[in-house]
Amino acid sequence: MDHTSPLEKLIRAALLAIVIIFFMFPIAWIVLMSFQTNESILRIPPSLIFTPTIENYVALITGEMRTAAGSLKLDFMRNLWNSVLLSSASVAVSLLLGVPAAYAFARFKFRLGEDIAFTLLSFRFAPPLLVLLPLSLYFKTLGLTNTYIGLIWVYQLICLPLILWIVRGYFEDLSPDIEHAHRIAGYNWFQTFWKIAIPLALPGIAAAGLLAFIFAWNNFVFALVLASADKQPVTVGALAFVTASGIQYGQIAAAIIFSIIPTFVLAMFAQRYLVEGLSLGAVKG
Amino acid sequence: MATGTAKTAPAVKQSRLARKALPYLLSLPALLMCIGILIPFFTAVYYSLLRYRLNLPAMKGFIWFQNYINFFSDPKFWNTLKISLVYAGLTVIVELVLGLMIALLLQRRTRFNNFVSILLLLPLMTAPALAALMWKLMTNPNFGILSYLVSLLGFPDMKWGSDPATALFTVTLVDVWVYTPFMMILLLAGLRSLPPAPFEAAALDGVPRSFVFFRITLPMLMPYILTATLFRLLDSIQQFDIIYAMTQGGPGDKLLVFQVQAYLDFFQATNVGRSAALMIILWAITYALSNVFIKQWLKLRERAHGVA
Amino acid sequence: MNQLAIRSLSKSFGAFKVFEGLNLAADSGEIVVIFGGSGTGKTILLRMIAGVEEPTSGHVEIAGENATDVAPEHRGIGMAFQNFALFPHMSASENIAAPLRAARAAEAEVESGVSRVARLLKIDHVLGHTPRELSNGQKQRTALARALAAEPKILLLDDPLRNVDAKLRFEMRLELPRLLRQSGATVLYVTQDYKEAMALADRIAVLSGGKFVQVAAPEDIYMAPATLTVAKLFGDPSINMVETTVRTAGKSATVDILGESVEIPASYAAYAGRKVAFCVRPEAVSLAHKSDGLHCEVQAVTPLNERVVLLLKSTGGWEFLSSLPSSAAIPTTGEKLRASFASKGTHLFDLETGERLDG
Repeated sequence: MDHTSPLEKLIRAALLAIVIIFFMFPIAWIVLMSFQTNESILRIPPSLIFTPTIENYVALITGEMRTAAGSLKLDFMRNLWNSVLLSSASVAVSLLLGVPAAYAFARFKFRLGEDIAFTLLSFRFAPPLLVLLPLSLYFKTLGLTNTYIGLIWVYQLICLPLILWIVRGYFEDLSPDIEHAHRIAGYNWFQTFWKIAIPLALPGIAAAGLLAFIFAWNNFVFALVLASADKQPVTVGALAFVTASGIQYGQIAAAIIFSIIPTFVLAMFAQRYLVEGLSLGAVKG
Repeated sequence: MATGTAKTAPAVKQSRLARKALPYLLSLPALLMCIGILIPFFTAVYYSLLRYRLNLPAMKGFIWFQNYINFFSDPKFWNTLKISLVYAGLTVIVELVLGLMIALLLQRRTRFNNFVSILLLLPLMTAPALAALMWKLMTNPNFGILSYLVSLLGFPDMKWGSDPATALFTVTLVDVWVYTPFMMILLLAGLRSLPPAPFEAAALDGVPRSFVFFRITLPMLMPYILTATLFRLLDSIQQFDIIYAMTQGGPGDKLLVFQVQAYLDFFQATNVGRSAALMIILWAITYALSNVFIKQWLKLRERAHGVA
Repeated sequence: MNQLAIRSLSKSFGAFKVFEGLNLAADSGEIVVIFGGSGTGKTILLRMIAGVEEPTSGHVEIAGENATDVAPEHRGIGMAFQNFALFPHMSASENIAAPLRAARAAEAEVESGVSRVARLLKIDHVLGHTPRELSNGQKQRTALARALAAEPKILLLDDPLRNVDAKLRFEMRLELPRLLRQSGATVLYVTQDYKEAMALADRIAVLSGGKFVQVAAPEDIYMAPATLTVAKLFGDPSINMVETTVRTAGKSATVDILGESVEIPASYAAYAGRKVAFCVRPEAVSLAHKSDGLHCEVQAVTPLNERVVLLLKSTGGWEFLSSLPSSAAIPTTGEKLRASFASKGTHLFDLETGERLDG
């Protein structure tokens, strides 16, 4: 089947090289920046030769930042912790609410189920500020502004449709006869759900959970509107950090690296399911 | 062996009602969630019909469609509409063409190709707001590597996001960097799922490659292209993170797309009515688009899962 | 007392009626085969009895009590599915143990129960395997073992031999009757293979067009099919048929087979003028060089198992089959003979209603 000429191979290789450079260069460059002192970053022309330093990371972890004007407290670790807390709690809640619903939608074809599933889906594609702006006023009245609970609740907007639709697809792929057989063998509905449906759909549930985590982690606008500094995740925190730190570019780079590593690692785990997850179950990889 | 004389266990009746109620019970939390979304949605609709400025509470009043009518004579609104459509169109076309090219390059299942396709996921896994920040560092006029590189190419004073002439180009670049992999990965999955028979037959018959691409590959790939494009279009027309993190809608009104404009109307001008009306218009656009999208998406999903 | 009964059971999906008003009762220990083509709703019927599908109307009785609202786990039924439906994440032995554990049997009982059915079904050597590691035949036996494990009083088998290869199906067909009798359970067995039905059943219930068209012992189904449909469903090669009209001449009755008159028992004289389907089992067709009978010519000769099947054509052009024992004198292709039809394998069916006319 291989009819490619040497010239074509060369062109393909060259194009591929350009692609890889374009997509990988920014990440590589920021990694390099994060290990440089401000002086070495500001050199002109930029150079790949520098003495690596971990002081940027140390500064972030200790929260002690030295600027030209003196020492400054900046709690980026707090943002990191907020991201971890918001994302994991949101996914946990989403799984708790979404998996049983996904099962119901897959197994019992009922009108209300379809309506719920499609309403959530259509709001997945609606502009987030549409509901966020009124919510910010409601949150003030309810005292939910700048609370973890309020944020976790709003984050369901990201996680729930994703989990509902992906997990539903996994349940639909399971033969209902397996569950029937278990019922007939003498187990009640809940035992069958717990011992058969959940374990068999577990890969899908895990993948949907990881993906929802990534989306929650990467979200920006929800916390921008609804949270103040002490509850903000890394996405919003990093932006504030830029303004606050002024010209501490190495530390900004390190903060970015800190913030993107968790999603990179999770993406590697969920890699096999990413295609399916990103398309909400419409395309299998 | 059972002798048949043993008394059968008393049959446990379950009420029909309980059985019928089960699906509803299971979906109750999701239903509450739905209501939780619909309340602010209808509130937004309501706000859009109000004269409502947070800084002038006394002026609050119901004005029917005045906010919408005002848009007609408001050049700021037309600028928002224009810039949103240009941004969405531009990013999606570039991402589609690039994504398709890369997918074709990686089509064969070799270890190297699989590795590259995983590598290319990394930009997609980067939070768009952080990606904007990364590019901001790289395009910094003082030390940014890209500023330096283009100066070597004869553009010594490229201002990137802060120059009205290049601002759109800069944010598009970031959007393309983040989202091209999305196109690529969906189209690659589509390409790899195509049945091999037509391609083998064409190869045997010595059909020219361009013909194969335009008459076999593209038509067969169309459902995937359509789904991925609509998906991206829906996201791109409401892009907020990249633009806000990069330029906050500037310079001037150069990048004031719908969501950025609505955000600023709400928090800076505190004009809730106008902000809500803007969001409702954007919602109407995305709703129409998403109806087309969902049909297309359901078809593909049915193919992937057997049932919709 | 009937161990299992269904009373005017109906199922429809929207406007589409799968079946309507089904009635059937089975005694303790009886094996009833539900026979029908694909899409007749046999599987849905079994699911309904098991309680995993709801009837549109009517009810299911177990041990004389209305069980329509009893949950599947409380019906005391064992069921084997056509697609096996084994629990993929459990070993064969865990699969088989599931109904025993559900009944909260002590661990020792579970173990002895599993090993008893495993030995019975000859799968004791693969008990540790997961379903993925089992061959189709072993999967099928595991599914049966699971259905039998808790010694249910009612056993529902949904075409269990459908998805296994021909050799295994043959073996199981010999083995199953003994196994099912031994279990002592009331068995409902669904199949679309008439030989399987004949080999296993105490009674066969023929499901067609949403109704049981005949419920009877296998011999009766074969020798006295209630309708033309039943006659066509049973028998291989299938029954010969030609459309004609009953005529009387004096005391005798005849039918006209494409221009040639054939005598039928005089008792059919009562149906003079009736449009009928004249049907003959291939093994009821005897051939000879003689002065009476239908003129025919041998078109083809095909050996089939222990018999030989001949394709014949009457002078008028009716093509029909004859099945002779291999030991008989076999005519050769092109030979011209006269065919006569033994009354035991010859039936007349009313063309309009499809019902058999008593001769």
